[in-house]
Amino acid sequence: MADSKQKLRNFVFKALKATVKGVLFYVAYFIVWSFVSPITQVVPSIQQTVEVFVAVYIVLMIVGEFTSGTIYQHFFGAAKALFVIGYLILSLKGGILEASYQNVNLMVDIRLFLTVAILLSLLGLSKSVLQAINHLNERTEYMQY
Amino acid sequence: MRVAIRMIGLATTFFWIFLIAFFVSAAYSVRDLHFNFEAPQVDMISADKMVVCLPISVANYGFYNVGSFSIETEVDNVDGVMLANGSSFVPVIGKDKTVRFLHNVSLNFTDLLQNGQTYLFNDSEFVVHATVGMALAEVIPVQASTNFSMPWGAPLYNFVLSEVQYEPLNYTHLRITVPISFENHAFFDVVGGVQARMCDGAGEVFGEGSLNVEAYSGSAYQGFLEFYVSVMEVSYSGYFEVYIRTEFFDYGPLVIPYG
Repeated sequence: MADSKQKLRNFVFKALKATVKGVLFYVAYFIVWSFVSPITQVVPSIQQTVEVFVAVYIVLMIVGEFTSGTIYQHFFGAAKALFVIGYLILSLKGGILEASYQNVNLMVDIRLFLTVAILLSLLGLSKSVLQAINHLNERTEYMQY
Repeated sequence: MRVAIRMIGLATTFFWIFLIAFFVSAAYSVRDLHFNFEAPQVDMISADKMVVCLPISVANYGFYNVGSFSIETEVDNVDGVMLANGSSFVPVIGKDKTVRFLHNVSLNFTDLLQNGQTYLFNDSEFVVHATVGMALAEVIPVQASTNFSMPWGAPLYNFVLSEVQYEPLNYTHLRITVPISFENHAFFDVVGGVQARMCDGAGEVFGEGSLNVEAYSGSAYQGFLEFYVSVMEVSYSGYFEVYIRTEFFDYGPLVIPYG
């Protein structure tokens, strides 16, 4: 009985933490988006791209939070980092964005931004791998004692 | 190991925040970049070369410097042959600074008007390719390009020598009057002289006359060329060789048959 109560308490705590994280992330997105929203007048498709990215990222974050304390948390962390790399490369078309507005063709070269973002995501991926190794280490040590 | 992982996490978070803040603020700074294109000035730098100067001022009230600001212009004819080009480059436009510069496009009238009748007698259209490039915050290259067409008005549009009038002056000579008319569709005034040689069918010149013309931009011109020829030499069919000399171009001979 006490065990199931503890499990419920853990679940509620994880749900609360995931909710807070998700809300904070969405608020941060909302604030940042308000600054760059004029870009949608020139590139209307960017809003959908960013919204899909934020939605998938929040889902992975919530799922990762629910699985915290298990090895799956780190799997989802790695998946999140790989998703960021893949989605940025695909949606940003290799870092060269092109758009047409009335009779004007616009080209923005954000390869530098993309490179730094991919490097940071790789750092995130390596962090998840290290966390998974550490998690297995700690579990083995716990089982030995 | 936990400390190392935590440090990696902290560093990653810090750099993500820094990267997104930098990128968003650089993009937001575009709103505070003001361009002002003033009325273009047309200058003649030599007898046959015209320069169109476009004064441009760029005010940068954004968060960062703007680097490698460039403007390139190319004027092509409808067949895609380049007629004129010009480029301007400003290495850095500092934060809270306004830079004013002239964008020059030089046009060679000799090439344009003397080597072909097309632009002298026919209205046409030029295609202007303009490209503006800059590096936001000196690291994010942005380029905007556009094409637009620009009408070209011929300075001697519908140039016509009307019916030749022969009027006896005395027993030996005739007074010949040739009406000349054209419309100046060009942006500049046509001020100069028209010289015509009257030739018979065999190509022998038997009379010639000249006329000063002053046709303002956008106006029609009508004048009369008068000269005297010997009754013995006159021919009622042949051709005129017309030479046109103005401050912008010299053209001739333009062969116009008569009779």
